[in-house]
Amino acid sequence: MGVAKQAIYYAFHPNELRSIIQWKVWHEPVHKRDPSKETATEKSCFHYLNMTSRSFAAVIQELNPELLMPVCLFYLVLRGLDTIEDDMTIDIKEKEPLLRNFHKYMEQDGWTFDKNGPNEKDRDLLVHFDDVIVELKKVKKPYYEIIKDITVKMGNGMADYALNAEHNINGVNTIADYELYCHYVAGLVGEGLTRLFVKSELANPQLLVRMDLTESMGQFLQKTNIIRDVHEDWLDKRRFWPKEVWSKYVDKWDDLFAPEHREKALQCSSELVLNALKHADECLFYMAGIRDQSVFNFVAIPQSMAIATLELVFRNPDIFERNVKITKGDACRLMLESTQNLRVVCDVFRRYARRIHKKNDPRDPNFLAISMQCAKIEQFIESIFPTQDPKKIAAGQKQVNEAGMDTGDAILLVLSAVFTLVVIGLLMVGTAWFLGAHLNKFFDGLDNSLGGSVKKPTSVLGHEEL
Amino acid sequence: MVSEKKPELGSVMVIGGCGFLGHHVVRLLLRDYTCAVSVVDLRCTRNRRPDSDGVVYYEADITDVDKLESVFAKAKPDVVIHTASPAPQANDSVSHALFKKVNVDGTAAVIKACQHTGVKALVYTSSASVISDNKSDLINADERWPMVRGKDQTEYYSETKAAAEELVLAANRAPESPTFLTCAIRPSGIMGEGDTMQLYHMINVYRQGRTNVQIGDNDNLFDFTYVENVAHAHLLAARALLITAASKTVPLDHERVDGEAFFITNDSPVYFWDYARAIWAAAGCPHGTEHVRVLPRSVGLLLGALSEAFCWAIGKPPTFTRQRIIYACMTRYYDISKAKKRLGYKPLVSLDEGIRRAVKWALEQEQNKQ
Repeated sequence: MGVAKQAIYYAFHPNELRSIIQWKVWHEPVHKRDPSKETATEKSCFHYLNMTSRSFAAVIQELNPELLMPVCLFYLVLRGLDTIEDDMTIDIKEKEPLLRNFHKYMEQDGWTFDKNGPNEKDRDLLVHFDDVIVELKKVKKPYYEIIKDITVKMGNGMADYALNAEHNINGVNTIADYELYCHYVAGLVGEGLTRLFVKSELANPQLLVRMDLTESMGQFLQKTNIIRDVHEDWLDKRRFWPKEVWSKYVDKWDDLFAPEHREKALQCSSELVLNALKHADECLFYMAGIRDQSVFNFVAIPQSMAIATLELVFRNPDIFERNVKITKGDACRLMLESTQNLRVVCDVFRRYARRIHKKNDPRDPNFLAISMQCAKIEQFIESIFPTQDPKKIAAGQKQVNEAGMDTGDAILLVLSAVFTLVVIGLLMVGTAWFLGAHLNKFFDGLDNSLGGSVKKPTSVLGHEEL
Repeated sequence: MVSEKKPELGSVMVIGGCGFLGHHVVRLLLRDYTCAVSVVDLRCTRNRRPDSDGVVYYEADITDVDKLESVFAKAKPDVVIHTASPAPQANDSVSHALFKKVNVDGTAAVIKACQHTGVKALVYTSSASVISDNKSDLINADERWPMVRGKDQTEYYSETKAAAEELVLAANRAPESPTFLTCAIRPSGIMGEGDTMQLYHMINVYRQGRTNVQIGDNDNLFDFTYVENVAHAHLLAARALLITAASKTVPLDHERVDGEAFFITNDSPVYFWDYARAIWAAAGCPHGTEHVRVLPRSVGLLLGALSEAFCWAIGKPPTFTRQRIIYACMTRYYDISKAKKRLGYKPLVSLDEGIRRAVKWALEQEQNKQ
């Protein structure tokens, strides 16, 4: 957007401008990096973090110092893996062992990789991966073990997908495939993060028992991205929407993008939105287990963005024509709201659940199921932050039953208050008069200002003269 | 349920077994349980099972104590499911008298008959409205919420259901019959095949082309329950009472079923107007929401008052009333954790499937009439 265009946009969306200003002015990070105390390799790691991540760089750098470096490095390692997996110029014979053995390379001092194609956007990270390795060696052992374990699993998962010709040609088939794919892309990262949070005692250890909550966090984010990016992926000839779902609405994948099938395409997208919304209550439940403000912000911001994005893509025909994104103003407001506490994040979820339900169309085969799912989010929020208290309601009933006497009492109270005011007023006026105030002048003045009796006769006479 | 052995319920009597809920209870008993079934109803012609099912029908008025006890002596039930209640449609003194007679006096007579003939367990169909004052919201309410009684209860029907529920629960392990166990089921917004009220009314709104008005912002959640799920909850409760009766120890407080009331819903509240729109869509309504005009609640109340005044002037009972507006804008949904934990209740049929079945049935009825 050009500056003029932006100015016009914000002139008509003052609330968004307000959110942006509020975020810039009032957001005070819980923790801040201190670059003056950082080593050269640490600085280098943050440089690559800022270079490779659009959404996570800021929140990672505000993390509790205990987890700042481990999470930053965890991110860079996974980004490194991703850069190899994404690169279609690397032959599969070379790619597979690279992916499966990445956890070994990241332990070799000075290891770098410069065989990425020139267009691979994050190739610099791997060219300077030795800096990451230096820092990885300094990470506390328990944290390092977690990073390594997830790297092994992720590397093998990516290698399996790279070898899976069926997946590469046809894309995702069943809903189970779809969820497995989301597990590899996001669920595993979530697993690593939860283990880091619990190990550092910044989250409730129960989260390790309920790993399904962690899985929901990842699934919710990834599914939202997949729904939003459908057009971009289609242009890239990649398909992540499961055939099991879209084949109910159109015969051929490309039909989904044809204007004459728009209504069917929307219904298909709403089935996927419904599928993603099923994780929302578990995400809130997960966030209730976080004990540190900076970690809370770190997990809550992407979740709030995700539910807002789901609302944006829901029944939005634009997703089949171009990339859609939440506006900067909305993003700032969401960040403000996601850096407070669970209650505020619950309000965000409820607000967007209601907006989704308002856009729901009764002709959509998923209509009632979506309504039920939005309601379920609301009901879940009620279960953690109840609006009503049965004890108070019972007490209220008793009060109402005694209301007969209460009204009498209330009238008496009001009357006595009025009486007291009148007495005090009279006393004050009387005292003033007694002390020599010229009250008659005051009343004359009052009289005048009301079109007083002194002038009246003259004006009446004047009229008669006419 | 198919591969497992069906649970035993002994001899089961369904009072009101030809009614809307009652005949579904009978159907589920035959489908899911091993038991002998008898039915008591005022008239046993409608919703009757084929003779091959072996259900024994007795015509009796439950307010007739002597007749009722003679039926009990013949049928010898182990369990009684008491679903009988007049339709809560009218709100005049004649129907008030009927509510009192059937719901309160009739239930008292059923309790007596049970106690005199050695019945082990009684499950009573109460109503989720017993905690509603018909104007305040109920947000995720559960069994801790107090009943609304006396002059606070503006619906006399609910008052009589609450009074009857109290009688039933007071009879649990009562001194005059210490082994007799009772509980109450409080369903919210029952709908399904055989529903001649709620569903019928909703479809009527569509037939008259009045789907274009929405009163209130439609953020209010409501619990509607498919009838088969309600029937299922009754039978889970019956089974739990029989198991309690057979065991020598009194169950712990947090797991007891006897002497307790349970809210039953589909465990999926929905936005009030979404429910209506789902029914209209199932009935063939071709509209989305573009044609809908939203009236604020206050405007609705004003129109309701005008309609009431107008109908009063021409001496007709009003159909469009302020109370209707209040209901349409009220939040009323329940937390059914207690039923899930203690009865092992889970809805058998989802709400959308329930709506599909119910509307299909209603449309078939319409066609049969033509």
